[in-house]
Amino acid sequence: MLIKIPSIANIGLESVPVDVEVDVASLGFPGFTIVGLASKAVEEARERVKTAIVNSKLDFPPRKITVNLAPADLPKDGAAYDLPMALGVLLASGQLKLPEGFDLTKSFFYGELSLDGSLRPTKGILLLGLFAQKCAKNSTIFVPQISAPEASVVAGVKVIPIETLSQLVEYLLGQRQIEALKPPTRQESFEERIAEFDLAEIAGQEQAKRALIIAAAGGHNLLMWGPPGTGKTMLSRALPGILPPLSYNEALEVTRIYSVAGLLSPGQALVRSRPFRAPHHGISAAGMIGGGSNPLPGEVSLAHLGVLFLDEMPEFQRSLIESLRQPMEDGVVEIVRVAGHVKYPASFTLVAAINPCPCGYLGHPKRECKCSDRQIAKYRTRISGPILDRVDLFVNVSVVETDKLSITTSSPEERTSSKDAKKQVLEARQVQKRRFSKEQRTIYTNSQMRNSDVKKYCRLTPEGENLLKLAADRFDFSARSYFRLIKVSRTIADLSVSGQILPVHMAEALQYKQII
Amino acid sequence: MKAQNRQTGRLAEDMAVNALIKKGFQILERNFNNRFGEIDIIAKDKNTLVFVEVKAKKGEEFGMPEEMVNRYKLQKIRNMATIYTKGKSMLCRIDVVAIVLSATNDILRLNHYENVV
Repeated sequence: MLIKIPSIANIGLESVPVDVEVDVASLGFPGFTIVGLASKAVEEARERVKTAIVNSKLDFPPRKITVNLAPADLPKDGAAYDLPMALGVLLASGQLKLPEGFDLTKSFFYGELSLDGSLRPTKGILLLGLFAQKCAKNSTIFVPQISAPEASVVAGVKVIPIETLSQLVEYLLGQRQIEALKPPTRQESFEERIAEFDLAEIAGQEQAKRALIIAAAGGHNLLMWGPPGTGKTMLSRALPGILPPLSYNEALEVTRIYSVAGLLSPGQALVRSRPFRAPHHGISAAGMIGGGSNPLPGEVSLAHLGVLFLDEMPEFQRSLIESLRQPMEDGVVEIVRVAGHVKYPASFTLVAAINPCPCGYLGHPKRECKCSDRQIAKYRTRISGPILDRVDLFVNVSVVETDKLSITTSSPEERTSSKDAKKQVLEARQVQKRRFSKEQRTIYTNSQMRNSDVKKYCRLTPEGENLLKLAADRFDFSARSYFRLIKVSRTIADLSVSGQILPVHMAEALQYKQII
Repeated sequence: MKAQNRQTGRLAEDMAVNALIKKGFQILERNFNNRFGEIDIIAKDKNTLVFVEVKAKKGEEFGMPEEMVNRYKLQKIRNMATIYTKGKSMLCRIDVVAIVLSATNDILRLNHYENVV
């Protein structure tokens, strides 16, 4: 008998329907064959399915079993087909009959089987939920209990969490009730990220702290420049503490990426804190941009709507930093492999820390720089013009005076604390949310505006515009930095809750322009 | 143990031959072997040359005899068949006879699978 069970294949963030066709022949030499461009993980499903069925006290038919994963020309990967295959074998061998009125075309089965018949956490459950929602009204998905909460956020899809294969069989036979998962409430508190440092712990560096606030408020790229030990890394590590929590829609976007990458912890429904990714400089291109024969998201996509922090930026492979250009401009990254072409969102805020020269002490008030001119020139070329052109905020993190470091005399109360900073950031984000609420395209922050949006939303006072023109002529800004400057000044104006961009806002934005 | 297995195999081959004769097969050769391997039975079914692999097991606790015939074994039979036919093309196929024996060597189950590849 032949049984067809619907499932899906995920290519990047896109889902394609896959029919799992199981045939249990009454004639022929017993065996279990899987066809349909199955990867090794799918091929091995044979042994998992066989053992799981036997260990669930069901019969594995000693017949000729053929499984076809259609369409035949699409490569299939992952262990998610275990469950539809096992169910197909049980149905096709006549051990299990579907109840009256059960619509197989509206039900999706997805999950990896363990040898004892229980279901293991599986990647991409959220995408299955979204696909089921698009596919048919009132569809049902049967997924491993541990990963099920992921799909529960999708409206209009019944999510049946199952623990073991025998549970599913009992459910289909009507011997067991399993309650569909309830969606989490939208208001459910989004947890705050706990940062390693509070801004108040950092002595001095008020300008850098201000720049961090602007970066967090408007999603602008930030580059910190200064000798070792002045607090660049500490400042960046304090950043998660002032980032605004994710909104519901943002969380959904981020969760899709984490679902595909299989980075959600068991039982987690949504990514609840804003991403902060700090890859080590030894990272490979595939790790950064995304890749693999069946391309997985890289760090740029995992930092979507959050922060990508590159400490010691010149130590990264040069080509790798250059590859950040496209995502920094478009907010998406396209990965092309033989197997196909995949698009992942990658709208991140870049925060980078750089030493002024290889030894680190160029421009230091007291210590001498030991680098030759050539060494310095070579070091500088590691970060190219096009990348620097995409940075909105340059901050010189200079040496801290010993007075400010003194434990007895300096009081942290006078310093900006993360709590205050976060309040400012949240207010500025509120203003932005209202501003872009009518846009068709989803825009969350000022930095995501296109040039046309800049013209629409950024009203400059004549004096402000004049100042900008002057600076642009004097320093020969590129067209891109011109618009980027306006976006930064928009954020600064938002921080002081001003509808218009005043000359002071523009002046402050100009102050953060390129210094290296 | 090994000798015992060989004895069981020999017995099973006799049983298979009887079953094939009952089905009207004409037995041409038994244990056709050289250094590349062995074909248990070579028979003729009407005008088709049939290469038969016999697999027997005592009891099914450790798996079915069918499971023990994998693609490596089948490939070996295919190679041997090429040697037997000296590469000439003729109508032929590979069959498997799976036998489950009891502790006292009675047939519990005998299945004949035709054209398994």
